[in-house]
Amino acid sequence: MLTLKMFLNGQEVSVDVEPGELLADVLRDKLGLIGTKISCGEGECGACTVLVDGKAVDSCLYPVLKAQGREVITIEGLGQDNRLDTIQQAFVDKTAPQCGYCIPGMVISAKALLDENPHPTRKEIEEGISGNLCRCTGYYQIIEAIELACERLAEEGGTG
Amino acid sequence: MLEARGGEARIIAGGTDLVLQSQRGQCLAKAMVDITRIPGLDHIEERDGLIYIGAQVTHGQVAASPLIRSRAGVLAEACGSVGGPQIRNVGTLVGNVVNALPAADGAIALFALDAEAEVAERAGRRWTPIATLYAGVGLCTVDPCTAMITQLRFRALGKGEVGAFERLAKRRALVLPILNTAAIVGLDGDKVEKARIAIGPVAATPFVATEAAEVLVGRTPDEASVTEAAELAAQAAQPRDSLLRGSAEYRKAMVEVLVRRALWRAVEGASLQEGEDANS
Amino acid sequence: MSSKVVGQSVPKIDAATKVRGQRKFPQDFNMEGQLYAKVVWSEYPHARVSKIDLSQAEALPGVVAILTSKDVPVNEYGINIMDQPVLVGEGEKVRWLGDRIAIVIAESEKIAQEARQLVRVEYEPLPVVTDPREAMKPDAPLIHEERGDSNILKHIKIRKGDIEKGFAEADVIIESYYLTPHVEHAYMQPEAGVGYIDEQGRVTVIAAAQWSHDDLHQISHMLDLPLDQVREIVPAIGGAFGGREDMYIQHLLALCAYCVRRPVKMVFDREESVMRTGKRHPYYMKYKWGATRAGKLTAMEMEIISDAGAYASTSVPVLSNSASFAAGPYVVPNAKVDAYTVYTNNAVTMAMRGFGSTQPPVAYESQMNKLAEALGMDPVELRMKNLLEDGSIALTGNPMPPGVGVKETLRQTALAAGWKEEDGVWIKPGPGLPSAPYKRRGIGVACGYKNVGYSFGFDDKTRAIVELALDESGEIARALVKLGASDQGMGAHTALAQIAAEALGIDYEKVRVALVDTSVVPDAGSCSASRHVYMSGNAVIRACQEAARKREEAIQRGERRVSAEYEYHGRSVRPTTPYDDENGMCDPHIGYGYASQIALVEVDVGTGQTEVLKVWAAQDVGKAINPEMVKGQAGGGVHMGLGYALTEEFIQKEGLIKTRRFSEYHIPTVADMPREFIPLIVEVPDPTGPYGAKGVGEMTTLPTAPAIISAIHDAVGVWIDNLPATAEKVWRAMQVRS
Ligand SMILES: Cc1cc2nc3c(=O)[nH]c(=O)nc-3n(C[C@@H](O)[C@@H](O)[C@H](O)COP(=O)(O)OP(=O)(O)OC[C@H]3O[C@@H](n4cnc5c(N)ncnc54)[C@H](O)[C@@H]3O)c2cc1C
Ligand code: FES
Ligand code: FES
Repeated sequence: MLTLKMFLNGQEVSVDVEPGELLADVLRDKLGLIGTKISCGEGECGACTVLVDGKAVDSCLYPVLKAQGREVITIEGLGQDNRLDTIQQAFVDKTAPQCGYCIPGMVISAKALLDENPHPTRKEIEEGISGNLCRCTGYYQIIEAIELACERLAEEGGTG
Repeated sequence: MLEARGGEARIIAGGTDLVLQSQRGQCLAKAMVDITRIPGLDHIEERDGLIYIGAQVTHGQVAASPLIRSRAGVLAEACGSVGGPQIRNVGTLVGNVVNALPAADGAIALFALDAEAEVAERAGRRWTPIATLYAGVGLCTVDPCTAMITQLRFRALGKGEVGAFERLAKRRALVLPILNTAAIVGLDGDKVEKARIAIGPVAATPFVATEAAEVLVGRTPDEASVTEAAELAAQAAQPRDSLLRGSAEYRKAMVEVLVRRALWRAVEGASLQEGEDANS
Repeated sequence: MSSKVVGQSVPKIDAATKVRGQRKFPQDFNMEGQLYAKVVWSEYPHARVSKIDLSQAEALPGVVAILTSKDVPVNEYGINIMDQPVLVGEGEKVRWLGDRIAIVIAESEKIAQEARQLVRVEYEPLPVVTDPREAMKPDAPLIHEERGDSNILKHIKIRKGDIEKGFAEADVIIESYYLTPHVEHAYMQPEAGVGYIDEQGRVTVIAAAQWSHDDLHQISHMLDLPLDQVREIVPAIGGAFGGREDMYIQHLLALCAYCVRRPVKMVFDREESVMRTGKRHPYYMKYKWGATRAGKLTAMEMEIISDAGAYASTSVPVLSNSASFAAGPYVVPNAKVDAYTVYTNNAVTMAMRGFGSTQPPVAYESQMNKLAEALGMDPVELRMKNLLEDGSIALTGNPMPPGVGVKETLRQTALAAGWKEEDGVWIKPGPGLPSAPYKRRGIGVACGYKNVGYSFGFDDKTRAIVELALDESGEIARALVKLGASDQGMGAHTALAQIAAEALGIDYEKVRVALVDTSVVPDAGSCSASRHVYMSGNAVIRACQEAARKREEAIQRGERRVSAEYEYHGRSVRPTTPYDDENGMCDPHIGYGYASQIALVEVDVGTGQTEVLKVWAAQDVGKAINPEMVKGQAGGGVHMGLGYALTEEFIQKEGLIKTRRFSEYHIPTVADMPREFIPLIVEVPDPTGPYGAKGVGEMTTLPTAPAIISAIHDAVGVWIDNLPATAEKVWRAMQVRS
């Protein structure tokens, strides 16, 4: 067992981990953050996407020790108390979630995209979520939600 | 550090290959040495006409690098086609080479660029052509438990020299290629001065179609010469029948199609540059 | 009453918790003191188990129990026919890779994983049968010796009119052989759950399920327990598409809890979910159709063979559906259908989005498109001359009930896509210029239809409870709808809440729908057959009406709580009947939904690759309870249809599965979807539906594949009759042609 420290959703946390453990398992099983989903376990679907130092990564492939000292943001880190953040709200308003299993990963990928590129083209949005599979929606309302979030973020002045 | 572990610890970079290999019992190392925190391995830079890429550089960084896009666009294209954003954010170009799969996109472009790798081992550091790193499917001659590749280098493409990358896959994103090719053409006036073509996965290691490239040299790149080169490439390629990737017959035929397309795009890019040169 | 809630795109009832990641799926549940279970799977597609050696596994510290067939009180289950062993014991047969030998239960997941690898099983391999056409032969090795002397599970015959005469009248005849593949449901949430003994001593399972009340029957049979001693709780479901209609994990969790009397958690990884659970049936379809020069269909002869895999599952009802839809939504006076479903050692096949209505369009729509070409007639025009209308006599001899909207879906799609119509003459638009010299564009059209609700005399019923909480003034403060309808993600609970709000005349925000817990909610039938809005909607409306009536009484008595219950029977609207054994005539279905789509594609003539550029998709939903949700169903339907047509290749060889993960089985990514997507909502009301609504979930996927196939033909002149149309297949077809 090793003690790992990371900045998780804005707070410093310490957690005991085994060297071979993966970030997704630690988040879900040891820290109770079940919003990060596991679907394929091999980097092929993006359901487990989290931000590490601002970059989207598949946490099912990410050795937890790599997170040492880094800033990790999961779906639980978005929004405040009972308020959804702009991207989450846009997903609700566009009826983007169906079963919802892919949705936390999609929202995180959208955040990674918009943080880096506040005015993406349609093609850039598609590229931004091309590492995330969804079996329910055909992706259209997810794309519309990201477009809506862009508009609202621009109005709010900043990427929040 | 590796030595301290007596060869039982293995280098891990992005982990996009290694994590799955460990899970599936294909990697038995007892410990991992993470090289993504070692300083001095994150560079993409040009020195004396050579481009150097450090071992921490990810596919995403290569694809977005203005230097790579302008002086080795073929590599930016290749790295930009790897997996999805999450994979490109962590998977490294060096890892793509060490993993030694004949289908690896980044590696195919590096073969076309005739890249070299710097190997750091107990005996010191040495540069070696990347082809010497390959010993078979998934087999790298450098053992990540005892040695490390610190950086890659290749000659930046000059004026009138352009590369293009083409890829065929079962869907349009997030998928390994069933075939890929990188071609570089250098023009001198309206004649081909040099050409290099790499193709995967059509052999146990990334395949360089030397004959096909040579047949172009000294000739005007027209329908006849490009077709001849593409046909030679297809003849030389030895894809195997694969349930998942498709029949050998199809993929052999596709070698011709992809090589032809890559060559034409490279030729067009190169003549544009030559043209600009003539105009200025 | 003017509708205030129905017809509005209100936010989905569970959307906010889903975007926050708070919604709990089965893998998100953990219980105090829980153990972990792993399955020891069959290694052979057909073999006799000669020896099971548990000694090494049992010796591993942390292993609590290893269950084998001896631990199962009644070792059989199955949704339709109980032909599946829960665990296969020594001397018994495994019939596919999804059969189970044992379940290892341990203190940690890691130990369970390690221990299952230590279970030693010896097999005597048996001959493997993978082609249902071979399996039908009299001398084929039998998969189920105990079930008679043939692998044929069911043969359905339809004989209508006189096909000899019909073909004699035809000016053109088209004959083709179509193949559709296995399809993996590929829901994003792999099977998972927890089994435990609840505070009342009931064997309880938390898992994703489509028909909990049927699971209960099977579990109580397996454990030899009374029905009230078993319980199932369904939290959020991460997609289902038919794949959770059968039990793949529910009964195993129940068995674990029953045997060890402690909470036991089990999670399948993706490989288990792909390799060890059911698929959509592959079909082998031989079609011969004739039409006159004027474009009237005169005769059809069809042979349909479905690969049932190792166990029956719902293969028989799925086949029954297919046979009834074999002619497509067209009028034909003379027809002959022979449909078979056959056991093999391939993956078990089962319900999947369409329930037998998804395979026939691949054949019947290609037939229509080929006929149109042979007749030199526009494909829309040819369809318009033959499509069903209200009262038309269907293939099975029954008149079509009111609300047949298929022509309207086709008309709207065709006009939207640029077709021109004048006096019944339709003219197709040009496909536009390709994006590269080595690409060709094409445009293709297809229709489809499917039943809503159960069929063939099976009484479809739904029971719903509505509970009201009244405020001091007697106004409804809150309404709770309870019924055994799970929401797999398509929004059933949202739609039912909208219907309840509408029926009660209250705000949508005041309505809640209880999660499915069989100890609380009544049986509402399965979440399938696109039936919940239609069937449960009708039950909810009536329960609400009853509640509203009781509310008056309650107010008078000064009470603040009201509860009403209603059981709605499909047969009260339209009784259905089973196939006649000899000629197949019957009135098969309660209601229907319709769809038409047009696809614009670009085919790379060098590689054979197809890119779908644009899809127009019209669905007749009767009444869109929530238009945005209908669009979501359309997008999802096109996604699956596109995967069916182009990218999803489930590869098996000798009963072994070669596409085991998402890196090998390729569902479409966002980049594979048409950049432009035009959903069109058509509302031809069904007078028996709630506010006129029909179903929508399945119809949206039916026309996609045949529309794409026809567009490929339009682009490069080849017909792909064997799905999926991979680049290699299209390329080969082009080689043959040139
Ligand atoms: C979902 C998914 C999709 C993918 N898609 C593609 C694709 O489309 N095209 C493609 O080409 N690849 C693809 N890949 C593979 C690609 O991500 C890897 O090849 C990646 O480039 C490897 O880099 P890494 O940093 O992750 O290596 P790691 O996994 O960390 O290491 C790989 C190997 O290299 C060794 N190693 C790493 N760095 C060094 C070093 N500096 N010196 C010596 N040894 C070293 C490791 O010990 C290990 O043996 C995909 C992978 C996944 C999971
Ligand atoms: S679960 Fe991590 S990418 Fe699929
Ligand atoms: S909403 Fe179900 S997988 Fe995306």
